[in-house]
Amino acid sequence: MSEARASRGRLSPADALARRVIPRAVVALSQLDGAARLGAAARRRLHRPGRVELYFAFDDPCSAVAVIDLAGRVAGRDVALLPRPVVRRGIAGDPAVELKRSYAVADARRLAARSGLALSRDVPIAPGATAFLAEWTASAPPGPALVSFCVQALERLWLRTGGPVVPADYAPLWRAALGDRPATAATRGVRRNERRMRRRGPYDTPAAWVHGQWFFAHDRPAQIAHRLDQLGWTAAS
Amino acid sequence: MTERLELFFSFRSPYSYLAGPRAFALPERFDVDLVFRGVIPMAMRGQSVPKAKRLHTLRDVKREAVRLGVPFGRIHDPIGAGAMRCLLVGEHAVDAGREREFVLAASRGIWAEAIDVSRDPGLREVCERAGLSWPDCAAALEDSALLGRVEANTRALAGLGHWGVPVFVLGDELFWGQDRIEDLETALRDAGLERR
Repeated sequence: MSEARASRGRLSPADALARRVIPRAVVALSQLDGAARLGAAARRRLHRPGRVELYFAFDDPCSAVAVIDLAGRVAGRDVALLPRPVVRRGIAGDPAVELKRSYAVADARRLAARSGLALSRDVPIAPGATAFLAEWTASAPPGPALVSFCVQALERLWLRTGGPVVPADYAPLWRAALGDRPATAATRGVRRNERRMRRRGPYDTPAAWVHGQWFFAHDRPAQIAHRLDQLGWTAAS
Repeated sequence: MTERLELFFSFRSPYSYLAGPRAFALPERFDVDLVFRGVIPMAMRGQSVPKAKRLHTLRDVKREAVRLGVPFGRIHDPIGAGAMRCLLVGEHAVDAGREREFVLAASRGIWAEAIDVSRDPGLREVCERAGLSWPDCAAALEDSALLGRVEANTRALAGLGHWGVPVFVLGDELFWGQDRIEDLETALRDAGLERR
């Protein structure tokens, strides 16, 4: 029962810092948003669009739900949705990686159902099996055509098909959206996205970075839209 | 027919704190018997929580707390003795039929009022707010049977193949996260458990 023994004496300065001061400061500082709002106002005056950087993984079913959902929520706003596919992500040494991958399928099934969608797969896809899609996407210039490809590829992958993932099945989608041949062996762009994701703060996918704040994109789609509204990029903008 | 709905909960998890009021309100709207199962925090089970995750959790919980109208931010992290003492009193509160009152009072004290539950005055305050007798709660802190129940809850969560909290278990379905309560409610409705 030693762990339940009452603490006695004064709280040490180190304990006070770790248990009270730092957590409260992190929360308080998270409420300071003036710089982001000023920056957003300046961008709008210069007729520059808002930016949503979307870090996602093709093998992640929750990413599929998030990309499809966010593409719809951003449409109609003066906002650029920037797809940033990654392959390597998560917490280093996490003992629950495989359990989380399995649970993600069940979780994504429920999230998709909220939008009237149904997953076509029951088991996870290995990250390496879809790495080619991340490489194609990371090597292309951002824009509506790239977003369209990501949405269509994720719909095909998670909502319409099961079984092995074959590049030849996705090449027609690429050509229809981008009109060119996809890049091959373009891992540098994916690694760049993974580094950028860590710098921004997210440690797993899907994550959306919206002018100074980031959100798990499958958990907080309405909050992402609210953030854009707060920054002035409303649906009518 | 009343269904058993288990809630795996950690006093060190701010997401558990956010889930608490809605979780304990479920039996008012659905034919469920909510079974509270307090678990030992991840960080006390040898699982590391990286800095990026710790920072994001605090910021995200603040946003969610504002959205839900729940106070959050005056924190006293209970990791260690504080968490264990709440878990033991939580089991005593289950026996006394006051787990809802205690869990909500203790988690609000920790996450919104900076109450140090690792010390007797802080723990006593939340126990008495919950309508529990302090001498009985103090005795619970020395009760090895209650400790056994906390350890069994923690093993049960691991046995389900889960790692974080809050987790709801309805039959063979698991719902992880305070933001999945709406999916749990859908499952309860689909099972015909909504009260009319």
